[in-house]
Amino acid sequence: MIVTTQKPLDEVLDYISPYKKVLIVGCDGCTQPPRGLREAKTLSQLLELGGKLRNKNFKFKTTTTAKQCDSYLTASALKPQVDGVDAVLSLSCGIGVQVLAELFPDIPVFPAQNTHFMGAEDREAAALEERCVGCGECILALTGGVCPVARCAKGLLNGPCGGAENGKCEIDSTKDCAWVLIIQRLEKAGRLDLLKEIRPPKDYQLKGWRITT
Amino acid sequence: MSEQAVEERTALKVTEDSCSSCAVCSSLCPFEAIKRDTETNKIILEIEKCQVCGICYSACPAKAIDVIYYDVDSLTSYLERAKQEYKSDTLVIACKGSAPDLVGVDKLFGVTKFIPLSVPCVGRVPDEVFLKAIVMGINKIHVLGCDEDYCRFERGSSVAGRRILALNLLLEQLGYGKELITFKRNSLKVKVDADSCIICGNCVFYCPYDAAKLESPGTVSFDLTACRGCGLCVAMCPAQALELENWEEERISTLISKLSKEMKTPKIFIFRCQWAAYPSLNGALAPNVRFIDLPCASRVDILHILEAFRQGADGVLIVACAEDDCKQEKASGKAQHSVEALIKRLSQIGLQDRLHFCTVAPRYPERLDEELAQFSEKIAAIGSKESKEQ
Repeated sequence: MIVTTQKPLDEVLDYISPYKKVLIVGCDGCTQPPRGLREAKTLSQLLELGGKLRNKNFKFKTTTTAKQCDSYLTASALKPQVDGVDAVLSLSCGIGVQVLAELFPDIPVFPAQNTHFMGAEDREAAALEERCVGCGECILALTGGVCPVARCAKGLLNGPCGGAENGKCEIDSTKDCAWVLIIQRLEKAGRLDLLKEIRPPKDYQLKGWRITT
Repeated sequence: MSEQAVEERTALKVTEDSCSSCAVCSSLCPFEAIKRDTETNKIILEIEKCQVCGICYSACPAKAIDVIYYDVDSLTSYLERAKQEYKSDTLVIACKGSAPDLVGVDKLFGVTKFIPLSVPCVGRVPDEVFLKAIVMGINKIHVLGCDEDYCRFERGSSVAGRRILALNLLLEQLGYGKELITFKRNSLKVKVDADSCIICGNCVFYCPYDAAKLESPGTVSFDLTACRGCGLCVAMCPAQALELENWEEERISTLISKLSKEMKTPKIFIFRCQWAAYPSLNGALAPNVRFIDLPCASRVDILHILEAFRQGADGVLIVACAEDDCKQEKASGKAQHSVEALIKRLSQIGLQDRLHFCTVAPRYPERLDEELAQFSEKIAAIGSKESKEQ
C-alpha cells in the first residue's frame, strides 16, 4: 500500500486560505493509514478551528472516494460534489491529487498528505516500512523475498557493503541490513548458491512510465 | 500537625464492629478484593482490587459495609424526589452498561411513563431499596441488567437475577401478587454498515475479543456473541461504517450541541468512561462543566472531541480507567494513544493545552474532582478560546 503522512496544518491552511468553500476528498484505497471519511471530517474540524484563529471562516464539505487514482470512478463520484466549490483538498497519495487536478482543471487542487513510499504495515509496532520502489524488474525470487533495491541504503545487488553492525545498516542503526536478511533467508533455504552469480546493473528503462493494459 | 499522611477517602469501608465475619461479601466479590483473614477471622478489604461494583454492600446481612455511591439512603431519597417529579407508580432500574440514559427501555418493557433509575450494575441495588420503593407506593418495578457474559462486574447481573427471584417469592407470599418485579437482560453491541465498509481491517486488528473477521472476498463480519461493546472498533473505523448501539455518533454529537447551549464559560466537556467515575444521583454540576458518558474510554471519538471544540468548548477532559481497572481488555490504553495523537495535531493550531487525558477510579471518589480542579485551573490560566479568536 502507499504510505502517506499528514501535512502540517499550517501548510494546508496556507494553501486553502484564499478560498472559502473547500471540498475535502478522502481515499478509501491503499493510502495507509486509511484516510477515508473519518479523516476527511477530522481534518475539516481541525482546519475550521485553525482557520478561526486566523480569522478565516472556511466552509467545508467532506466526501471520500473508493480509489482516487482511478479517474473513471473518481470522476463519477465527485462530479456532482464539486459544484460551487472553490478548492479541493485531497487526502490521497500524490497520485490521487494529480488525478483530481486533471479531472477538475478549473478548480485548484491541493494535497493534504506527503507521500512516502510503497510499504508494509506492522500494526503491533504502529509502523509502516518501505518494501518496494517499483523498479519494473523484480528480483525477489533471487533474494529470499527481501528487496535490496528498496531496503538496502545503497541499493546493492551483489551482496552487502560490509558496513553492517549487529545486522543493522551503517547509515541507520534502527534499520535492518537488507543483505544480512537476504543471506540469513537464503542460508535457511539452502540457496546461498544464488549469490554466486554476478548480477549486472538494473535496467531502469524497464521501470517505464506508461503501461497499457 | 500530625506527621501521619492523611488517608485518602475511599468509596468502600468495612465497619469492624458491625461485621459478623459471615464472609458473604467475599463469596460474591468478583474481584477477590474482600476476604476473611483465616487467622483473625476479620474481613479485610483490599481497596486497590475493588472496582466498587457494590455487590458486597448490597448483600451484607450485617450492614457492616458502607459505600459512597448509590447506597440505600441516596437511592431512597432519589426515589422520593423522582416519584414526585415523574408522577408515576412504575419504576425502571437499568444498568448503565446495557441502557445508558435509559434509551429504548420503554419499548423493552412496554411502558411509557416511569421513574427512571440508572445505576452502574443492577446487582448493587439491595433488597431494602426494592421494598422501600414498594412502601412508597410503587406498584411495578422493571429491572434491566446486562447479559451475564456482558456484565462489567462479572457477577452483578446474576446476583440481581437471583435477588429478584427471591424478592418476588417473598412479595407474592405477602399478597402483592406475582412478579411485581420483572427482570430482563440486554447488551449493546456493534452494528455494521456493510455499504460503507472499506475492508481496511482496522476493526479486526483493534477488537480485543476477536469478534471482527475479514473474510475473502471482502466482507467484514462480527461475531456478536463475542462483542463486548467497548466501541474501540467504532472509534478506529476510518470509514465510519461501524456504530455501537445506543452510543451512535449522531446521538453523542447531538448531546454535545445540546449541552453546549446550556453551559457557561469557560466551557469544559468531560468525556468519561462510565466505569471510571460514577455520576452523582443529585445531578449538581458546575454551570460550566458537562459530562458525556461513554461505554469505555476507547469509544472516545476524535470527531466528538473536535465537535466539542467547534461548539465552543474551552477545554476537553478525557476520563478513563487505568489499564488494570479497564472493564474491557486494556482498551483504555488505546484511547490514550488516540487522544495523545490528537493533542499533537492540536499543537499545530495552538489548542494542545485544552485537551487532557487522565485516569481515575471510583474507589477514590475525590480523584475526578481533583483532576477537574487542576484542569479548570489550567484552562482559566489560558483564557477563553472565543476571546482569542476575536
